[in-house]
Amino acid sequence: MAELLVQTGLNALYAAAYMSLIAVGLVLIFGVMGIINFAHGELFMLGAYVVVALYADFQVPYVLVAALGLVFVGCVGVAMEWAMFRRLRDNPLGGLVASIGFLMILQALVSMGFGVRMAHVPPVTQEVIIFSERVRLPVQRLIVILAAIGFLTALWAFLTKTRFGWALRASAQDQEAAALQGISINQTAGIAMFIGASLAGIAGALTAPLISVNPHMGHSVIVAAFIVIIVGGVGSLEGAVLAAVIYAFVHTFVTTFADGVIADVVGLLLMLVVLIIKPTGLFGTADRA
Amino acid sequence: MIVKFIKDGISRRRFLGSTASLAGLSALSAGLPGAALAAGKVVKIGFLAPLTGPVAAWGKPGLDGCQIWAEWVNNAGGIKIGGEGHKVEFIGYDNEYDPAKARAGATKLIREDGVKFVMMLGGDTWPGAQPVADKTGMLFSTLLPSDLGPDTSTLIAPAEVHPIYNVTGVEWLAETKPDLKTAVMCAQDDALGLPSVATYLAAFEAAGIQMQGDPLLFDPATTDFAPVVTKLLSTNPQIVCLDTCYSDYVHPITEQLFQQGFKGQIISCTADFYDQMIAKTSKEFMEGFIFQFPDFDDPALNASNINFQNPNGFFEEYNKRHPGEWGAVSWEYASIMDLWKAAAEKADSVEPDAVLAAMTKSGKGDHAFGRADWWGKDLFGIDHALVGDWPVVAIEGGKARIKGFKSIPDWYAKHGELLKKHMAAYGQMWNQRG
Repeated sequence: MAELLVQTGLNALYAAAYMSLIAVGLVLIFGVMGIINFAHGELFMLGAYVVVALYADFQVPYVLVAALGLVFVGCVGVAMEWAMFRRLRDNPLGGLVASIGFLMILQALVSMGFGVRMAHVPPVTQEVIIFSERVRLPVQRLIVILAAIGFLTALWAFLTKTRFGWALRASAQDQEAAALQGISINQTAGIAMFIGASLAGIAGALTAPLISVNPHMGHSVIVAAFIVIIVGGVGSLEGAVLAAVIYAFVHTFVTTFADGVIADVVGLLLMLVVLIIKPTGLFGTADRA
Repeated sequence: MIVKFIKDGISRRRFLGSTASLAGLSALSAGLPGAALAAGKVVKIGFLAPLTGPVAAWGKPGLDGCQIWAEWVNNAGGIKIGGEGHKVEFIGYDNEYDPAKARAGATKLIREDGVKFVMMLGGDTWPGAQPVADKTGMLFSTLLPSDLGPDTSTLIAPAEVHPIYNVTGVEWLAETKPDLKTAVMCAQDDALGLPSVATYLAAFEAAGIQMQGDPLLFDPATTDFAPVVTKLLSTNPQIVCLDTCYSDYVHPITEQLFQQGFKGQIISCTADFYDQMIAKTSKEFMEGFIFQFPDFDDPALNASNINFQNPNGFFEEYNKRHPGEWGAVSWEYASIMDLWKAAAEKADSVEPDAVLAAMTKSGKGDHAFGRADWWGKDLFGIDHALVGDWPVVAIEGGKARIKGFKSIPDWYAKHGELLKKHMAAYGQMWNQRG
């Protein structure tokens, strides 16, 4: 039983890592721009397809491909901000609808370019850290965990230690007041979109060798990401990370000790309980909620 | 990637423009010796299956196989009706595995395109098309006989009896490896997964193999299978059964089994694109992996009882046109067309009722894997599933090879009550489905 608990804990840690990256990006976009980006799952998918295109097909070194995935998907995010969200800034519903349309476009483009079925991504490494016969941690999963910690730490440092970070936080708190202080709303929105999208992209690139990469894979993560940001408190980065960890552990342990369908129900119940006890989420504030 | 992009692009265009390409090929064939196609006489066949989306792997490769079948048949003079050759033309409709789109597609294919027969994957999409079938009397086929019921007399399951043939894999395993006595199973919680779960439970019970816990069901939206595999392995099973999981699940689950140190036997309904699984695990790990769908270059398919035209040539042609795309359904829809063509020529008509009558009259039919019976009243309320032998396939040295053919009716004669018991427990009997 101890081995089962430890292995399940390691599984949960991996799930928490990639879910944190996705949820934090989603929260950052919402916090700064007030847009619910339904295409966030497809940005995750794009990151995975960068790996398919460059690593699987052209054998470009994986680390370089992951970095390119981060930058490429970040640029897609900036393009989304410029082409759609900037023009719909005073219309949150319009932004939401536009993002739904954009996700369909992305799915169609990827389907046309790569086909509709699962893409093959060769393993980056088959190394496994063996703690005991029943407790193992594949190195690729360890990479995801360490990378998530690294990226989230870097994001925290950026937001708290740099002028751009302060500007982002100011915009998230009150856009008009921030603008009155000389902060460019367009610039902060672009930065937020780049960071948010690139976090989804790097999550996709890091997990691509471990999951089924297909044009519809974004659906699978976006529902969980929304549960996470509601539990964490809409607009709260700390809340998103904490909620991702809680959700991942709850979902993973329930899957292991009951089954995956029950785990989904429990995940939704978790959200319901948090909303009843603290409607703003764990770290949310009343104005954002 | 660029090469792949172009290839996929051509493939997609080919799919979208299937009518035009087939018409062109038929026009060419008109000038060939022996081709006696009646001018302008075309029989249209509807192909209503998921061509995009997560279940496309069980639709699109089937249409690709049908295009090859049509070219071969048209080049050989087409279908002989009234002494004249009629060329065959497939009209594809992507139902995206969505019942509402299946209904719209069925209506369009019948009302607008004038098809004479509609082939479907079935499953979750059949309830969408069923009212159209009932209203029009159109002949439909499904790959999933769990769609069958006495209320629709024009639905047949002539290619595969999913999931009943899964019993053959378990039976063969129990005979060849009698020391394996414990198993666990996982499946996605849907119309494909659940009847298969019931079938495997019956097969394991019949074989004296003990299940170590209830089958582990997971949401079809699952992406990370580590927790599923951790639970499966927690009881140290000798056999892990992957049920009828989609290839999007079979691959990551198998990879997880490898990474979490499993060293036992794996059995699965399908192992599409198994070469990719070998690349993600190892040849040694995949050795002996049992499933139910052969590659058609298998020498065992050259036997005289096989009712599929030139299986090795078909496999070669398919892989030439769609490299790396061969899957479980690549041949199945084409084999249904073999049966339909024979019945249409026998009836001297392409009208649905005449073809169905000719097809089922003797109670027997030429299934791809040998002579078979129209069967199923016990399980489906109607004898519209063509059941006979089915191959058991194992991976050996990195290549799928048929290990033998087992009789489904023989198994059912001995263990039918077990199957009915488990089907009923999962609400999968025809009279339990809503």
